[in-house]
Parts: sequence; structure tokens; C-alpha cells
Amino acid sequence: MLWKIAWRNLWRNKRRSVIILVSVVVGMVAMMLTDALYTGMIRQVLTNQVSLEVGHIQIHRKGFHDNPSIKLLIERPDEVEAVIRQHPEVLHHARRVLTYGILSSSYNSSGVNIVSVEPEAERQITLISKSIVQGRYLKGEAHEVLIGEGLARKLEVSLGDKVVAMASRLDGSIGSDVFRIVGIYRTFDSEHDKVTMYIPLETAQHMLGLGDAVSEFVLMVKDVRQVDAVRDSLRNQLPPIYETLSYRDVLPLLVYQSEAMAQWMMIYYVIIGIALVFGIVNTMLMAVFERMQEIGVLKAIGMPNRKVLAMILLESTILGLLGTVIGIGVGMLIYWPLSHSGLNLSVFSESLASFGVGAVIYPVMDLRILLSAGVSIPIVALVGAIYPAIKAVRFEPVEAMRYI
Amino acid sequence: MEIIRTEKLEKVYQDNSVPVHALKGIDLSISAGEFTVIAGPSGSGKTTLLNLIGALDKPTAGKVYLEGEDLSAKSKGQLANIRLNKIGFIFQAYNLIPVLTALENIEFTMMLRGIPEKERRRRALALMEELGIAELANKRPTEMSGGQQQRVAVARAIVNDPTIVLADEPTANLDSVTGSRLLDLMERMNREHNITFVFSSHDPKVIERGRRLLWLRDGLIEKEDVRDAAPSEG
Ligand SMILES: Nc1ncnc2c1ncn2[C@@H]1O[C@H](COP(=O)(O)OP(=O)(O)O)[C@@H](O)[C@H]1O
Ligand SMILES: [Mg+2]
Repeated sequence: MLWKIAWRNLWRNKRRSVIILVSVVVGMVAMMLTDALYTGMIRQVLTNQVSLEVGHIQIHRKGFHDNPSIKLLIERPDEVEAVIRQHPEVLHHARRVLTYGILSSSYNSSGVNIVSVEPEAERQITLISKSIVQGRYLKGEAHEVLIGEGLARKLEVSLGDKVVAMASRLDGSIGSDVFRIVGIYRTFDSEHDKVTMYIPLETAQHMLGLGDAVSEFVLMVKDVRQVDAVRDSLRNQLPPIYETLSYRDVLPLLVYQSEAMAQWMMIYYVIIGIALVFGIVNTMLMAVFERMQEIGVLKAIGMPNRKVLAMILLESTILGLLGTVIGIGVGMLIYWPLSHSGLNLSVFSESLASFGVGAVIYPVMDLRILLSAGVSIPIVALVGAIYPAIKAVRFEPVEAMRYI
Repeated sequence: MEIIRTEKLEKVYQDNSVPVHALKGIDLSISAGEFTVIAGPSGSGKTTLLNLIGALDKPTAGKVYLEGEDLSAKSKGQLANIRLNKIGFIFQAYNLIPVLTALENIEFTMMLRGIPEKERRRRALALMEELGIAELANKRPTEMSGGQQQRVAVARAIVNDPTIVLADEPTANLDSVTGSRLLDLMERMNREHNITFVFSSHDPKVIERGRRLLWLRDGLIEKEDVRDAAPSEG
């Protein structure tokens, strides 16, 4: 019956209840969508990095991750590949040679990351084969090179031009080779595109005097949630001269960022929550003082204080629950299309691109967000009603009833 | 059997720090089954006296005993409990809970006492039937006339079988015919169920319906009359 009274009281002043309900819903939807947008953005940065170069799992000679020197090599790649091939959870893998060097055109030169790949295997791992804007992807022919749009601009070269790459060979001398630009690519990460060139693996092995040796194996697993387990089992099967790392180990900053983000969002929730608390306090105070005489009568006929308290708190909590349900509904209605179409932030795309996100952000609504919003609003409503409820409890029945 | 006794009851209000002596030493005793009216002009202290007897307010001096228990020794929570279980109230302005229907208003105090829903519904409906207000069951106070609301208020006051029902000017907001019918109803409940009523009025037509008359003036009982028989018996 207290529920019934609280519910009906809520609708006595419809306009007031609707106004506070709307502000609860707006606050809640703002919280949910901002959170979803940031969550989506961080995830996108992470998946972008994974799909641009990192892959799910990397295997190197021990120490390579901390000091990526051309001297730290996997000298017997077939031995490692045999272990990878028999692992049921590994979907794709590819070999790479990674080093630094200088790329020069007739006009200019630039420091570069030289990424040497098995063209066909690499297709399965990274997006580079899908990022060609001019020319074609690598075929595995000698002397072909793929450069980023930013790098092409810097070197003032275009498709079909010749460029010269120089890098340290394993024996310490300088290796160099002439390449023809067969393709120009563009990814969402403009910084990456200014400094990265792709050549076939064998060309690099020859130019650097590596024989069969490679710098790393990059792997994609079937189920990304199992990535740590796969890493551990590979690590156990491989000789200890190798290091096996998941993308979480390779990109600790991004992983940390996504965790820190959740904490930042909590602060944001608290701020919106405090604003809503004041709205609720105000509304409930009005509701209580407006019904002073009535509350006096309830107390006169023997309603105990704790029930008066419960009645007021219930009224506000119902408001909060109602706001939560509507808020989640409205939030999902806005979120659903956005999660498919993405939010186009091309206005900020330059800064986003250098941060490693595309111009289109796909918000991600997860259980954490729904729970934070779904639990915090009813609590806010309850907290906001405490002071008004105490006021109601303090009314003396005789005094309150004189207010006619 | 005596159910109410007051001893040298005094109440002083502070009205803008001017003391107002509303009651100046009331000694009275009320026994079970009485149909008593506290009669007196406006400002004579009727409401103050009923509030003290009804455990709604505390006296400045003197004592109120309800069934031998000293009310001044009780906490606020205990007083609320006494009001809930032992006292029925009928107010001048009806004061039903506006968001509840007539039936729910009558059930309300039973709900507070923890009576199960089925039981309280049954009792409320039976009482409404007896009081001839069954057709009002699903009406909200705003949908009822003053007389109808006050009948529902009577039902609410007596449904818990209180020791005493206190009614402060119950007919003051009603026209004389409706007021007279309400008194008929209260009288019948008094006669048939031996419910003790104490009501107040300044209206001679209402006062003459009391069987025992306590005349209040300036915070003192001026005189007391007892009528032999209620008119409805004649
Ligand atoms: N809360 C109060 N504060 C100050 N004076 C009051 C208060 N309540 C009643 N009084 C005064 O006490 C006297 C008795 O009032 P009351 O008991 O209401 O009389 P009645 O019900 O017979 O009209 C009046 O003079 C009234 O003005
Ligand atoms: Mg009065």
C-alpha cells in the first residue's frame, strides 16, 4: 500500500514529476552515450593498433621487444613455425623482418621503419593490403616497395618512382637497395603512414644478409578472449630463447588507458549524479511541504515515523527507477543506430588520426556502462530524498494539521 | 469503566512569545460507552483539549491517563502507537488521504497495524456496508461530497475498534441536515457497538445531541450536564 501511495503521489503534480523525470533521463542518456563513445574510441585505438601492426600474439627472440635490434633474430624460423602450426587456437601467422633505415628519393630522404612481410600471409594479419590508395599491394617480386601517403609527400615521389633504402646489415656494414614504388597506402594513423615502408620478406633478408632468419612471427587467434591462454601455451612449448607476447603486453599503455578510462567515467558519473541529487532534493522538498497537512494527518492517525520516511524515499526511488528504465530505453534507441553507422567526427579527424583512431567512432555499450547508469540513478534518487524525508518526519502532527 | 482521566491539565502556547493560556486546569473523567460533547465558543480550548486527550500534543502541566496509563511518560513513537491502536480521529476537514479510495482510506490504519490484506479488505467492506457507504468504496475523496467523506472518516476512525473516538467539530463543514445524519451515524455506532465518542462543537443543535455535556469556557470546564435519554430513543 505504501508503494501505491508513493506511486499515486508521484502523479499528483504531473508537470513537476515529468520535469524531474526528463532531467534524470537526459542526465542518464548523456552519461551512457559519453561512456559508450569513449569506450568505443579506446577499443578502436586498440583494435586499430592490433590490425595495423601488432596482431594478437608476437613471437621474437628474447629481448627484441625491449630492444628491437636486427641482431636479435629467430634463426630457425621453421622450428618456431612447427609449434605454431600445430596449435589449434592459432588462425593465421606470418613472418616479418623489422628494422630501421633511411629512404631517399632524388629530392629528399627520411628515416623509416622497414617492415618486411610475406605478402600473402600478411593479408590475413593486418589491414595494409586493404589500405592501398594508388597502385597495388606487394606481389613478392624483388625491388617492390609500398609507402605511406605521408612518406610519399615528404620524399616528393609518386607511383612508379625509384627510391633507395639503406639499413645496417647483420654483419654491421651498410646494406642498400633500389626499390620501385608499386603502391601508396593510407591508414587511419597518419603518423604511421609518414614513417613506414613495406617490402617483401626475401628482399629484406637478402639486403640485410639474414639468410632465413626473421625478427618475428605475428599470429592471429581464433578467439581474442583466449589470447592470454594461447600465449601461455605457446610460451611453454617454445624454447626459452624466445619471447611470446600478446597485444596486451605489447600495448600496455593502451590497455592501461582503457582501464583508467573506466575510472575517469566514474568521476563523470559522480558529477552528473550530484547535479541530479540537487534536482531531486528540490522536487521532493516541494512535494513534502505541499503535503504538510496531509502528512500531519497520517502521523495523527498513527503512522510511525519510519513509515513516513519510507513513503517519501519510496516516492523518489520510484521516480529514479522510472527514469532509469526510460533512460536505458532512450539511450539504447540512440545508441543502436550510432553503433552501426558510427559517429562521424571528421571535424576533429586530424587530431584523431594522429591519435590512431579513424574519423568515425563506433560507440560501445557494455554491461559496465548499463550497470553504472542503472544502479547510480536509483541511488541518486534515494539519496536526494533523504533530507526531504527527514523534514517530513520532523513535522509535529498538530502543527502540520494547522496548515489548512 | 474509566478510560480517560485528566488531572489539572494546562496548556500554554507561545504566540509570538506572548503566552496564551489555552487550558487552565482541566479535571475530567470519561468512561467507556459515553457519548460526550465538549461544548464551547471558538477559542475556548476544545481543540487543545482533544489534542491532549488524543496523545497528539503534550500538556504544559498536569496529566492525561488513557486506560490508567500516563501519556506524559511516553515517547513520540509510543504515542503514535497508542493513537494507532487505541484512538480513532474524526477531523473537521475530513482529512482523508487524497490519493486513496474510500476503501483504501479505511484499510490504511489496518495496514499500519499489519493486518493482512484479505482480512482488512473484508473488514473495511463489511463496515462500509453497515454504515451504508458501500457504493463509495472505489471513489477518491475529491469525487465525494463532504457528508460522504465524513462518513468514510467515521469508518476509518472506528474500524480498529478503538478505545475512544475523538471528533473535533465533525459537523462544522457540513450543512445542518448532513451534520445531523452524521451524528445519527455516530450515535448508532455508540449504541450498537458501545463505541465511546467525545466530540466538540460550538453549535447548539449539535451540542444538544450529546448525552453528557462539558461546557468549556476560557480553558476551564464551566459546568456539566447529563441528558437522560438520547432523542433517537424517544
Ligand atoms: N498553536 C497555537 N499557538 C498559539 N496559540 C494557540 C495555538 N493553538 C491554539 N491557540 C490558542 O489557544 C486558544 C484555544 O484554542 P483552541 O483549542 O483551538 O480553541 P477552540 O478549538 O475551542 O476554538 C485560542 O486562544 C487559540 O488562539
Ligand atoms: Mg477548534
